[in-house]
Amino acid sequence: MDNIETIIAQFINGLSYGMLLFVITCGLALVFGILGVLNLAHGSLYMMGAYVAYSITVSFGFSFWVALIIAPLTVAVLALIIERTLLHTTYKLGHLSQVLLTFGLAYILHDLAKLVWGANVLSISVPSLFSGSVSILGQTFPLYRLIVIGVGLVLAIGLWWIQNKTRWGAIIRAGLSDSEMIGALGVNIRFVFTVVFVLGGFLAGFGGVIAAPILGLYPDMEFQTLILALVVLVIGGLGSITGTFTAAIIVGVLETFGRYLVPEISMFIIFALMAVILIWRPHGLLGKQVTEG
Amino acid sequence: MTYLKFGIAVLLFGAAPFFLASFHISLLTEILILAIFALSLNILVGYTGLVSLGHAAFFGAGAYAAGLIGQHVSAEIITTLLGGVLVSFMLALVVGIFCMKVNGFYFLMLTLAFSQMIYSFIYQSTTWTGGSNGLTGIPTPSLLGLELSNIVWVFYVTAILFLLLYAGISIFVKSPFGRVLVGIKENETRLKSMGYNTKIYRYVAFVISGTLGGLSGVLFTYFNGFIAPTNVYWTMSGTVLIMVLIGGAGTMIGPVLGAALIVILETVIATYTDMWMLLLGVIFIFFVIFLPEGIYGVWQRSTRKWLKGKIPQPELKKVDREKVS
Amino acid sequence: MRKFVIGVFSFATILIILSGCTNSAMQDTEGTTANGEEVTEGSSGEVNSESSEDSIKIGALHPFSGVYATLGNDLSDGMKLYLDSVDWTAGGKTIELIEEDSEADPQNSLRRLRKLMDQDNIDILTGVVSTAVAYAIRDELDANQLPFLTSHAGGDDLTRSERSDYIWRSSFSSWQVGNAMGEWAYENIGDKMFIAAADYAFGREVSASFKDAYTEAGGEIIGEVYPPLENNDYASYLTTIADADADGVYAFFAGSDAVRFVQQFHEYGLHENFELLGSGWLVSEDLRESIGEAAEGVYAASFWDYNLENEENIAFREAYEEAYDRRPTIEALEGYDATRILVETIEELNGDVSDPDKVIEVMSQVTFDSPRGPFSFDTDTHHVIQNMYILETIMDGERTENSMIETIENVQDPGE
Repeated sequence: MDNIETIIAQFINGLSYGMLLFVITCGLALVFGILGVLNLAHGSLYMMGAYVAYSITVSFGFSFWVALIIAPLTVAVLALIIERTLLHTTYKLGHLSQVLLTFGLAYILHDLAKLVWGANVLSISVPSLFSGSVSILGQTFPLYRLIVIGVGLVLAIGLWWIQNKTRWGAIIRAGLSDSEMIGALGVNIRFVFTVVFVLGGFLAGFGGVIAAPILGLYPDMEFQTLILALVVLVIGGLGSITGTFTAAIIVGVLETFGRYLVPEISMFIIFALMAVILIWRPHGLLGKQVTEG
Repeated sequence: MTYLKFGIAVLLFGAAPFFLASFHISLLTEILILAIFALSLNILVGYTGLVSLGHAAFFGAGAYAAGLIGQHVSAEIITTLLGGVLVSFMLALVVGIFCMKVNGFYFLMLTLAFSQMIYSFIYQSTTWTGGSNGLTGIPTPSLLGLELSNIVWVFYVTAILFLLLYAGISIFVKSPFGRVLVGIKENETRLKSMGYNTKIYRYVAFVISGTLGGLSGVLFTYFNGFIAPTNVYWTMSGTVLIMVLIGGAGTMIGPVLGAALIVILETVIATYTDMWMLLLGVIFIFFVIFLPEGIYGVWQRSTRKWLKGKIPQPELKKVDREKVS
Repeated sequence: MRKFVIGVFSFATILIILSGCTNSAMQDTEGTTANGEEVTEGSSGEVNSESSEDSIKIGALHPFSGVYATLGNDLSDGMKLYLDSVDWTAGGKTIELIEEDSEADPQNSLRRLRKLMDQDNIDILTGVVSTAVAYAIRDELDANQLPFLTSHAGGDDLTRSERSDYIWRSSFSSWQVGNAMGEWAYENIGDKMFIAAADYAFGREVSASFKDAYTEAGGEIIGEVYPPLENNDYASYLTTIADADADGVYAFFAGSDAVRFVQQFHEYGLHENFELLGSGWLVSEDLRESIGEAAEGVYAASFWDYNLENEENIAFREAYEEAYDRRPTIEALEGYDATRILVETIEELNGDVSDPDKVIEVMSQVTFDSPRGPFSFDTDTHHVIQNMYILETIMDGERTENSMIETIENVQDPGE
């Protein structure tokens, strides 16, 4: 059973699962890295993305591609509302208040989603273009899983490019290390925060649409996603897209092999890894030290 | 004054079963158990400034240990209580060593990681813990051979422990040791420069907090006769954190009020609507943004206003009499 | 000082107001007999005097929130459909249904149960989806002698080692669900099988019971995997299964797990080499639309299906669709049947439900033709004896349907 083909197949599984985790987590990592806000409503924004995509594709009959644009935008608008009405009032209250606010929001969005979409298990079908399967070394893989690997790569490169090669990235990086300095330079830091939070919301919604055909839609989906995203975030470290990317792949591959070799304790392994990283390198594998609130 | 308050509390708890229906007594018992749980977390959150999202681990450790000891050794309260508390104490000793290395978010995440590890351990150890079904068939607790088969007895045991712990924690946080903890919360660097080994202080606070959390778990098994993995899951840690923060972190009565509010609201509201999480979220956000000092803070502020104000006070005479005594 | 007095004063006022409502806990305690069994004699006496006058109160613990919310709603709708059909009366009494949200959480459920018993003075309890909840409330029910008809929770031990005089079950047991498929799978699918089941008590019990029946028939289990509950990606497990030399895969998953497993089983091409077998929940009425075409060709064992063509079932599904404008699920049927049992019991007692022992005595004798087929209780185990059906999921135009291919009659839980 332990032949090389199986190992390779499991590695591809792990890679595609890891990329999916990256797509889900990158918005959270961005917001945490720059705003210092641990957005516990991230899972809920992800869920909203998935549900809106469901409405667009199943209820209104548009294609998956329409949903892939509209749903993240809808979530971005929701994030904008949250930031403008609630979150910005807590910047002066310190980081703990922000964490708690988003925790409360997660509860509210949970019931709102239930009110609108019900508690049934729903699913979005894979876009017909990618609904086939591919055979690699005698193992069958759904084409969509391989596409997800590509999406994750493109997203990672895009975010890395924005962060490191553009003026916006420079402002963001500066905001990360010293937000007062940025203000002195004449950049409106409040505006930067809003933009980053909305971008985080957009990415959460995008993750929701991409993940929906694989993970499905069901009550409590957001909390499960949130926990996984937190694990990836912590292991990767703060403010580092590269760190989140690496962590997502490590978690994806480790959990896949964990399920394969020691299925009973696969969840335990992931949390143990998280604990070890926190103790050994509190700021994550590739993270930077950030001032705490 | 303090003794008087204490005496009145003893009387009220003593008298409660003569006035209240069984259901209200069981509700009150549950509130007291969760209040102990919230008080124990408050030592960390309110007095030391360490926000934990894994406190349910200690609750679960104490509860499962008490349940298993009750099943396999003896249902005597002294045995199960000591056993349960000892297990959570040792767990806190071990977990504390690691958690003391980090601060802030990292502390939050590390406690979460440990509690999820303990959760999955309990969930997977089906033969011992019953896995997802929970541990059932825990024998009725007995005190010196007398079976506490009635809710009233469980209530009395809980109330006595609650009062003792409340008094104990009050004294503890006002002691020099407790003042150092508050100092750590306010400015750890300053205390360090004053020559305090803040790590030791935080470690002791963590261990006390965890041990008392375990104690509330033990009481929980007496009260319910079962323990399920959902009581160890991170949502339970989240709920108790909400209790502390809504009630008023860093005050003694705050967490008790928070526990009471959550239990009463959930019991009353959930009968009429299943949008319970929505309501809790709204209340919670309201407190975080507008009333960060919690129920107790609001209570203090409003009673001060109310007493100073021109509103006629019907029980003024009573108040005067109290003053004389 | 003043504020403290106000606090004490208001607390005392609340105490007095509350104490006006019902018997105090102490008064209840005084009713305790020497052997300490009849804890709430005082209050139950009161219940009966009230209820004999006007109505009979049926309490129902259903999960209206959390992961089992849809199951709770369907159970509730099924109950109301039957109550509507008898005009909410039985034995000359009005029936009052008091529903509480169990949240599928043991601690909350126990609190709600205490409320139902103490505040609402219910005469009979039904409902409960999660087995953990059923075990959690078991001792409280037993001590208070409250008749309880379980309408869903299937944990084997509820009618085995945890059995109580007052607990009856009209739904199913894990054993019945798993066992039904064992022999059939050996005769019709092949002699090598792989098991994949969600890692929680229900999944473990059902697959163990399947395994016993299958190996007894002569088959061989060549591998087992137990993914955690609410596992989101089955790729790793499916790759493991793909390497196995088996004729089929016996899978126990429910809810969102079932949707993902069946879909991913198909996406990874396993349907080309393996038959997929499971319980009725793998391809249940409310999931198949989400699963889509991947459900085609799945074999499932269940005690009811929408497409059973008996007179009662045809009437049931017509009535249900008219009332709610959607298809009934198996949980709707469970609620419907449980209510019928309760109503027939109350009829037989002419509305006098004051003696819990008489209630369970009469209830044990209830038999009728249910939409699921002939229904009766095993009076030793307190558990339902019923037919199990082997279903195959087929394409019917655009959508999938389950079609019944074999009946296994009168499956009876061994009770130990």
